[in-house]
Amino acid sequence: MRRTFFLFLFAAPLLAQQSMVETAPPKGPAIVYPKDVILVKGAEPSASDAKTPLPEGGRIADDAYRNDYFGMTYALPRGLKQPFAGPPPSDSGGYVLVQLQAPEKTAVLIAAQDLFFSASAKTAADLVSYKKETLPSYYDVERPPAELEIAGHPFARFDYVSPVAGLHWFVLATEVRCHAVQFVLTGRDTKAMETIVGEMNAMKIGNAGAPACVRDYAAGANVLYRVEPVLTEHKFNRIPVRIVIDTKGRVKHIHFLAAFPQQAAIITDALLQWRFKPYLVNGEPAEVETGLVFGGAATKVVKAGD
Amino acid sequence: MSRRIVLLTVLVSLLTVPLIAQSDPGVRGGAAGAGNALSSVLANNPTTILNFFNDAKARFQEIDSVAGAVAGEEGVGLGPRYNSRSCAACHAQPAVGGSSPFQNPQVGDATADGARNTVPSFITINGPVREARFPFFFNTNNPNGGVEDLYTIVGRVDASTCTSLAQPDFNFAISTNDIIFRIPTPTFGSGLIENIDDATLLTNFNNQQSNSFGVSGAFNRNGNDGTIARFGWKAQNKSLEIFAGEAYNVEQGVSNELFTQERPLPGEDRNTGLPSTCRVNATPEDHTNFNTTAIGTLSDTVQFAMFMRLLAPPTPSTTTPGGSTSINNGRSLFNAIGCNTCHTPSLTTSRSAVTPSLGQATANLFSDLEIHHMGTTLNDNVGQGDAGGDQFRTAPLWGLGQRIFFLHDGRTNNLINAILAHNSSGSEANTSSALFFNNLTTSQKQDVLNFLRSL
Repeated sequence: MRRTFFLFLFAAPLLAQQSMVETAPPKGPAIVYPKDVILVKGAEPSASDAKTPLPEGGRIADDAYRNDYFGMTYALPRGLKQPFAGPPPSDSGGYVLVQLQAPEKTAVLIAAQDLFFSASAKTAADLVSYKKETLPSYYDVERPPAELEIAGHPFARFDYVSPVAGLHWFVLATEVRCHAVQFVLTGRDTKAMETIVGEMNAMKIGNAGAPACVRDYAAGANVLYRVEPVLTEHKFNRIPVRIVIDTKGRVKHIHFLAAFPQQAAIITDALLQWRFKPYLVNGEPAEVETGLVFGGAATKVVKAGD
Repeated sequence: MSRRIVLLTVLVSLLTVPLIAQSDPGVRGGAAGAGNALSSVLANNPTTILNFFNDAKARFQEIDSVAGAVAGEEGVGLGPRYNSRSCAACHAQPAVGGSSPFQNPQVGDATADGARNTVPSFITINGPVREARFPFFFNTNNPNGGVEDLYTIVGRVDASTCTSLAQPDFNFAISTNDIIFRIPTPTFGSGLIENIDDATLLTNFNNQQSNSFGVSGAFNRNGNDGTIARFGWKAQNKSLEIFAGEAYNVEQGVSNELFTQERPLPGEDRNTGLPSTCRVNATPEDHTNFNTTAIGTLSDTVQFAMFMRLLAPPTPSTTTPGGSTSINNGRSLFNAIGCNTCHTPSLTTSRSAVTPSLGQATANLFSDLEIHHMGTTLNDNVGQGDAGGDQFRTAPLWGLGQRIFFLHDGRTNNLINAILAHNSSGSEANTSSALFFNNLTTSQKQDVLNFLRSL
């Protein structure tokens, strides 16, 4: 009896390993993997809690796009749908929020650029100007960057056209929580496009209750105590992180735009130990949102022409 | 009478609609626009380089057997597991160094020289050359992703003591959706790609950031030195030599100085490894040859890399298909709708210490060498380096006009289907591909297709 028990102990790992061998079907019911589902992810977005709204957390419901992070409710233009969701946030701070399309209709792309992680712009107006400065020669400018107000918010607008394609682009950008939120309209019918611009006035955008956003707040003398995260695997990818610091100078919320899960765990452990000078508004401590970049290749990207 | 005319008109219009709609012009005929050495290599600059290229090309075409003793198969080290028996067998279209040919050599490889393999259902004579990977170890959620070689040497006249070695259970993998495929990447112009500095790629990356198409991208960085890797479907390999060494080991089963052991399947390697009876040869089977001089000293792996490095890029056609006006128009439209955001038309190489044609040259590769999220349709659930399951290197488009099969797994030979596959949940290419399908006219789409087939 005792011998049987020992044999079982030795045999168990071997039996378990057999299912790893590809030359024979495993014992027991087969796991069938779902098709068209991304199960093996690269660097991906994550957050330290599930309740704090995130930029990528918007959704379409009742013919409107809602995004709690940006305080945004936008009624979809008639006839447009989002056939496919966009990609996850990028390690350069880019978000595709919504892509609205339909055959032969104006396409509407709503995107956001986290201005903490942009190499080319510190404001939404900068971003639009940069777009104009770097506009390839096969486009013609139709309307140089100019300010206007939409839905009670300052926007920068820039129009250009591709003569060969007969397609026009209207780019409209505003700033919310240190993000440039862009509406990019593409189509042949400029009247229809203007209608969509006009309808944007009905949109709600802006999150008045959000923490102040301050670029590079987590640097220099503002940091009272820090623990360096030591990455083990995947050391060289760029890891942009947004944090919210509470009124006592502790990290309250962490949002990874793109990190491997193990990286997120290691950086979270470190950041929760960091201490900051409280951010002051009119002499009173206030919550503040800022950005940090981790990873071995936090490469300074050189602006074209520099 | 008038009713008949109406019916006839409807019938005629129904029949002609497909003719009017845009279509893939198909594989561009005529002479292969690829396969030659770079011009400075042909000019033998520096002296003797042409000899190195010619020797490298011959080795690339050599057929391997287990001991090199089979007539006409003098390469040493095949197996014990393998996908095919020669580099050039798979890198063949439209010339040596290219991609999957019209006739799949893997069907014949299964039983060559007495081998007793079953040809898997996904390998067909008119289908693409394929390697298979199982994203997960069977019945677990543990990522695998390694190559599952199709065949073994069992039964071959030169298999020696290797009398029992099972093929992977492809039927089970298919039944559980635990299998994906990769086809050979063409290698023309690879030396130019190898010689593009990281700074150039970073500048291009920055220039992309103002795009209006929702494209971002990232680099697959080498885990050891942090620099940008660039070869393979997911840009997982840093250099041509690593690329060659890995392929020699994985695809033909030849151990070499970069990958020094005989290669078991990933699952085998978690258990007991390959049986000793199937580790027939001393290792590494491919190595530096100390007893010869000059070119003969080099290992096959070094020379495979040299061949790819010295291959000229493909030459596009200015007139075929569709004529120069259509091709030029297509190029402009390709740029206008943002395809060039990822498929960067050209990048400049650094100074070269190898040969003048590789130095400060314009590489018209149509790739940014970045990895991009391609969404659920193209996702293969294989992670390689920093690339996740749905992230792929922007496939260089040079030479596309003479390619037969498209996308990483060769799932289509129709260019329109290939573009359509860019469109799915989570893809960075959604906006541009939707502009192609939704916002270009039929003749504009045809111009884009003609342009692509001219490359």
